[in-house]
Amino acid sequence: MLRHTLLFTGYELGVMRRNLAWPIIGIMQPVLYLLLFAPLLTSITPNGELTEALIVFTPAALVMIALFGSMFAGFGMINETRNGVLERLAVSQAWRPAIILGRVVKDMLMLVLQSLLVLGVAALMGLRISLAAMGLMLLLMAVTGLFAANLSYGLALAVRDENGMSQIVQFFLLPLMLLSGLMLPMSLAPEWMQTVAKFNPLYYAVEAGRALFADDFSDGDIPIAFGVFLVLGVLTLTWSVRSLRKLAG
Amino acid sequence: MIIEAHDLRKTFVAKRGRGKTEEVEAVRGIDLSVDEGEIFACLGPNGAGKTTTVRMLATFTVPTAGTARVAGFDVVKEAAEVRERIGYVGQAGGVDDNAPGRESLVLAGRIAGMSRKEALARAEELFAAFSLSEIADRPVKTLSGGQKRRFSLAIGLVNRPPLVFLDEPTTGLDPQNRANLWDEIRALRDRGTSVLLTTHYLDEADALCDRLVIVDHGKIVAEGTPEKLKKELAGDVVTLRLDDLEGARKVLAAQPYIKEVQTEGDSLRAYLDDGEHGLPALLRALEAENLAIRSISLDRATLDDVFLKHTGRSLRDAA
Repeated sequence: MLRHTLLFTGYELGVMRRNLAWPIIGIMQPVLYLLLFAPLLTSITPNGELTEALIVFTPAALVMIALFGSMFAGFGMINETRNGVLERLAVSQAWRPAIILGRVVKDMLMLVLQSLLVLGVAALMGLRISLAAMGLMLLLMAVTGLFAANLSYGLALAVRDENGMSQIVQFFLLPLMLLSGLMLPMSLAPEWMQTVAKFNPLYYAVEAGRALFADDFSDGDIPIAFGVFLVLGVLTLTWSVRSLRKLAG
Repeated sequence: MIIEAHDLRKTFVAKRGRGKTEEVEAVRGIDLSVDEGEIFACLGPNGAGKTTTVRMLATFTVPTAGTARVAGFDVVKEAAEVRERIGYVGQAGGVDDNAPGRESLVLAGRIAGMSRKEALARAEELFAAFSLSEIADRPVKTLSGGQKRRFSLAIGLVNRPPLVFLDEPTTGLDPQNRANLWDEIRALRDRGTSVLLTTHYLDEADALCDRLVIVDHGKIVAEGTPEKLKKELAGDVVTLRLDDLEGARKVLAAQPYIKEVQTEGDSLRAYLDDGEHGLPALLRALEAENLAIRSISLDRATLDDVFLKHTGRSLRDAA
């Protein structure tokens, strides 16, 4: 089981290695946000310093990669429902969840790697965080990716249409982003928005990230974020493996 | 028997908008038995249920009813055992366009349980057999249709299966590539591999297979060797065009040397064993009834005639 998962991951990483341009373009967006948006936040931080703004905004930039990167991971699989690859794998000796999970592990690794690059840029801009905070943040990104990528593959297998899928993803992206406090902290929002945000899993990722970066390891949002994403990750994986079975009609 | 299927059925529930659904009976009771080391064909028009049948036998689609044993194992209850013993090459090919063929082949080998070294060696073996060595490291999307098809076949054979399913293996190939693929399929049989293929090409079934079934509307309408099926019908066929089709049909049906008469569109097809000798008598009989002939031809009967006999229409029209 593990062997098959790693085989698929290795294969997908090979494909990625041959097309390195795409994941690099993928992190341009969060990097630009760091460069061009984080300075704007200095007006709401206590001392008006960029390092304070970076502590608030860098975790958000990382969650952004998960949103705009991993949520689109499934697009490639839509083509595989048509070109016969999934059909062939379904009747091969492959352990079926590995077909999805192998790709998800690749997406998680990618996300961690991209996060490291974005953290590097933030460090150059003056962000200073502890190693423990960084390690936990990367782990948090991995579980966020587990959820986002599984959701994306599940959607791809259920919808099986590029146009439909991009509409659905776009439809969910904006509210998920605004209600996670990604751009501005939710503490600035009116009461009702704060209540709604509690139902958005990404809200916990952003909040947990900010707590970690502020060296506040006792913040309750940290275990909640890990728990929520692990549970959702397992649920969405189950869903996408089920959808794989439905390909056969 | 490498394949034994009894009364296989598959009903799909298709969505028809506004919450309405419609049941589509794709396969309506198919019995099959395929011997070890034979090339067996499912011949039929598009939509006859060939692909669904193969997908059920290859453990992709679960049958609605009926049972099938492939390589000695039940396709539903022992799917994992079946999968170890089959190769499956679907209609779409199933080769990843974005990677070189070598990568796909090595991955397939390793999933089948080989070490990296074994998988690489097996890939080399297959590249040599299918003349793919020179293009093994090029991204598959840069290859021609025939080359892609050979990669699909190679991937299907990576685990040295005793049985391989080929779903419309030559559709879309040019005549040269088609002939080459036929040779490769024959070579498989010569090495002891059983082959079940589907096709809507009559000449393909005729030239390639040891035995076949003709499938139409989810059912088998005829079964046997190509020779036996054609012989059942008669060796030769006279195709006639004339104004009074019905009158001519009655006259010809009454002739003792004519085994069968079929109407196909605006022409009549009369089947007889010895066309060269029967033709003059046929002409005299029509002449005697004053039936004017607009055109006439004499040919060997083909599997299309078998299809026409069993379904009342030509495979060319059905497809």
